[in-house]
Amino acid sequence: MKRNQESPESRAGTAFKITQEGVVMAIAVLLFAMFSVLLDNFLTQGNILTLLKNVAILGTLAVGMGFIVVGRGIDLTMVAVMVVGVAFAIWLNQQGFGFGQAIVIGGGLVVLCGLATGILVTIAEVPPIFATLAMASIVYGGGRVAFNSDVLYAPADIAWLNFIGSGKLFGIPMSVVIFAGLAALIAAFLHFTRFGRFVYATGDNPQAARTMGLPTRPVLISQYVISALIAYLAGILMTGLVSGINTRLYNSTLIYDVLLVVVLGGISLSGGQGGVRNVLVGTVLVGILINGMTILNFSYTSQNLIKSVILLGALALDAIINPRDEQTSQSGDI
Amino acid sequence: MKFLKKCALASVAAASLLTATVPTVTMASDIEQVGRQAYLEALKGKRVIFIPLSQGMDLNQAWTAVWTRYADKYGINFEVRDPNMDTSAGIRALQGAIAEKPDVLIVQNPDVQTYARALKQAQAAGIKVLQINMQSITQTDSYVGNDWIQMGRDEAGELARVCLADGAPSKKIVWLAGVQTGAANIYMREGIDQILAENPELELVSDQPADYDSEKARQITETVLQQHPDLCGIMGIWDNTEVGAGAAVKAAGKEDQVTIVTNGAGAATGCESIKNGLLDVIYNFNAPIQAEVAAQQIGEFLQNPDREAGSEKTVFFGPITRIDASNATGRNCWTADQLK
Repeated sequence: MKRNQESPESRAGTAFKITQEGVVMAIAVLLFAMFSVLLDNFLTQGNILTLLKNVAILGTLAVGMGFIVVGRGIDLTMVAVMVVGVAFAIWLNQQGFGFGQAIVIGGGLVVLCGLATGILVTIAEVPPIFATLAMASIVYGGGRVAFNSDVLYAPADIAWLNFIGSGKLFGIPMSVVIFAGLAALIAAFLHFTRFGRFVYATGDNPQAARTMGLPTRPVLISQYVISALIAYLAGILMTGLVSGINTRLYNSTLIYDVLLVVVLGGISLSGGQGGVRNVLVGTVLVGILINGMTILNFSYTSQNLIKSVILLGALALDAIINPRDEQTSQSGDI
Repeated sequence: MKFLKKCALASVAAASLLTATVPTVTMASDIEQVGRQAYLEALKGKRVIFIPLSQGMDLNQAWTAVWTRYADKYGINFEVRDPNMDTSAGIRALQGAIAEKPDVLIVQNPDVQTYARALKQAQAAGIKVLQINMQSITQTDSYVGNDWIQMGRDEAGELARVCLADGAPSKKIVWLAGVQTGAANIYMREGIDQILAENPELELVSDQPADYDSEKARQITETVLQQHPDLCGIMGIWDNTEVGAGAAVKAAGKEDQVTIVTNGAGAATGCESIKNGLLDVIYNFNAPIQAEVAAQQIGEFLQNPDREAGSEKTVFFGPITRIDASNATGRNCWTADQLK
């Protein structure tokens, strides 16, 4: 929809158009080339797979977040839902439920969380940034009251969970396969289904979409349910990788890292633009950065500093490339 | 009138009977353990407030289980004000506690600086302060916890033994730090540096904080293993974090090559990790025993209320036990339920 209105450049016939995605892609390629030359053992099959494996969870969460941001929302509950959903399932398992059964019930809880957030945003019309910030506190707080410990360990003998953690498919770690599969699924969903086009339409201009007769509320609510389920999937991935879940991740900067990936990839916070490809570009750049900085043995503080400078740069770039106008800056915009 | 007189007489008789029986009752239990009565009176109704980092950690659960038991037995009023890892909430909790003037304040510091001034204020207000396991630069009446420099020496020493031995895969080791401003981290690092200086052939190839997050520990380890496939050992600061390093080593199929040494409170989950092959050695600082020592220190404070807060400074280093696959059983692996 957006494409038809803007882009005077394309009408003018300019061959080269700078998009944020392109800039980030260029930075990623540059960094990759630099590290390949400067660092021993950077450009090896093992290290590339490690790089991808290390961003599988971040990328999975970012796909969910991207899916929400495209619809002009934001979901700050993702990390809370991820840790509490999985911790709840492990807790159920400790109370005597079978592990598979516990995972299914945990999924039910996660769907309820997504539903609650969606209803808050669409029916109560609380701006998503506040609704999800509050929901994140509620979800985490509820979990904190229910479980005594921050760290909950999954049983060691669940074969499929161990396979997710350390298994490989055609030499590629399962976590990467799952991340890629999810990304493909959401991309296809956004592009080839009517529902996917509704998401773009709602994100582009919710009022217009509603006037046109699109079911904007159900669309938004199901978006939050899907992002909650994606967060849960990321949690299961993490449990497979490190044999347990640390609920204190809620207090970490993970949710901001997820946002960084989304914004960095070029999904505008004003909604209606971008897609899974942007998330992948952002994820790969962060992956290369973290991998390179870890190999270079940079301190944690300087790693955070560099990451933050890049986020700020990406946001500034976003504001220049996708300037806010009367149409895009409306209520509910963040 | 007559009736009234009778009543008065009866009550006098009853009263005399009562006064006569009371001494006989005390007579029956005349044996008094020397000092016990004074101890009970000194502790009864006193207030102790604990400001932890977060009650979600295994060590905290062990401490409070032991202290609650002690407090219940002797009628101490024990409260926990949990800031849940939020430093500013911790400062507020601390200021609030100082204003309430409890008899004893127990503090687990998030880092060496944040609470330093408030701890001075507490002592100036006449509150005795016990620091548990994580110190501040302000030394207070008592510190009960680890000898962290020794802990660093123990862990690095373990890797020096393994990696400098004949047939070791290499002399390369990794330090997975926690939070770099924390007391445990600063002092452990000093101990590690001492061992590195004594064994210059040991090569520290990576020195990054995992921030007490097992997934971060896994990512760092996996990346480092790509760079140094012949890595010999990893040392860390908390068993619940280093399981991530263990997962990375296991995924690389290098369990037999890489030795993972860490420390922990002695919870059963740590022993499980050893049995599952995620960790090799845990230097167990036995949080329940730390708590018992601290409980006795609290008892000592309350028995000497006239001693000015901050006038005497005592340090208690708790015992440290080396746990590996051969002794990861029984008392070396407690669960929170056993302590209650």
